[in-house]
Amino acid sequence: MLAIYRQLLRLYPPAYRQQFADEMLAVFLDIRADIAKKRFFAQTVCVVREILGLIGGACGEHLRCFLGPDSGFPLRGRSFVMRNGFRFPNTTAVLMVLILCGVAVAIKKGEEIAMSLPHVNPGVEPIHSVHSALLPPVVLLLIVFYAAGLVGWTILFALRRSGVHRLAQLSGEQK
Amino acid sequence: MALYDMSRTAMTSDLPLTEPVLLILLSLAGQPQHGYSILKDVERMSDGRVVLSTGTLYGAIRRLLDDDWIERFDEEDASRGRQAYRLTQQGRRNLQLEIDRMKHITRLASLRVALKER
Repeated sequence: MLAIYRQLLRLYPPAYRQQFADEMLAVFLDIRADIAKKRFFAQTVCVVREILGLIGGACGEHLRCFLGPDSGFPLRGRSFVMRNGFRFPNTTAVLMVLILCGVAVAIKKGEEIAMSLPHVNPGVEPIHSVHSALLPPVVLLLIVFYAAGLVGWTILFALRRSGVHRLAQLSGEQK
Repeated sequence: MALYDMSRTAMTSDLPLTEPVLLILLSLAGQPQHGYSILKDVERMSDGRVVLSTGTLYGAIRRLLDDDWIERFDEEDASRGRQAYRLTQQGRRNLQLEIDRMKHITRLASLRVALKER
C-alpha cells in the first residue's frame, strides 16, 4: 500500500509534492499503524478513502495551477447561501468546449487512419473518406445541442423567476 | 433585537465555511497541531462523522496557508515530516466570525421554534 501511496503522490504538481509529500507520507504511515489493529472492512474503507482523497486532491491542485489560486480546496460552503443573481453555467461551457475539442481530435485521428490505409483495390468506385462521411452529422448534432442549450439558457435568463429570485425580492422588501 | 451584525460578514467573503475547514480551524484554535493530530481531532470533534483523508487534509492546509489563515509553526523537536501548524490572526478572526454567524442562526432558530410551540 505504501508503494501505491507513493505512486499516487506523483500525480500532484511538483511544487506541491516538494512542499507536502513528506508530511503526507508521514501522516499516512501514522494512519496505517492506526488501522492495523482494526477489522478488514475498516482497513478497506480507509485505503479507499486515502486513494480517492489523493486522486481528488491531485486533480484539484492541477486545476488550481490552471485556473488560479481561488479554484483549489473550497473554504466556503454552500449551506445557508442564497444567490440572488443568475450565474452563467461555467462548468457546462467548459465541458462543451472539452467535448468539441475531443470530437475535433477524434476526426483528425480518423483522417490520419484513413490516409494511412493502403488503397489496393483500384477497381472499386471512389469511397467517401471518413472525414466527409462523419463530419456533417457530427457538426449537425453539435449545432443542434448547442442551439438547444442556448435556447434553454436564454429562457432561464429571461424568466428570472427562480425561488432564489423571489427570496431576494422578499428580503429586499423587508429592508 | 440586534441579533447579528450583518456588516461583519462583509469583512470576509469566505463564509460560511465548509465543515472540514471549520473543524480544522477549530482543531488549531487551542494549540498548534501536526497533520495526524488534526485528522484525529477532527474525527473526535465530529463523533466520527467527518474523517478526512490525507489528500483532503493537505488540500485544505494548502489553501489555508495560501490565504494566510494558518501558518507553519517550527518546533524545536520537530522530526522530518512532522510539521505543526497554527492559526494566524486573520484565521482566528475569520473563525470567530463563523462562530458568531452560527450562534446567530441557532439563536434565531431557537426563538422561532419556541414561538411556534406556544
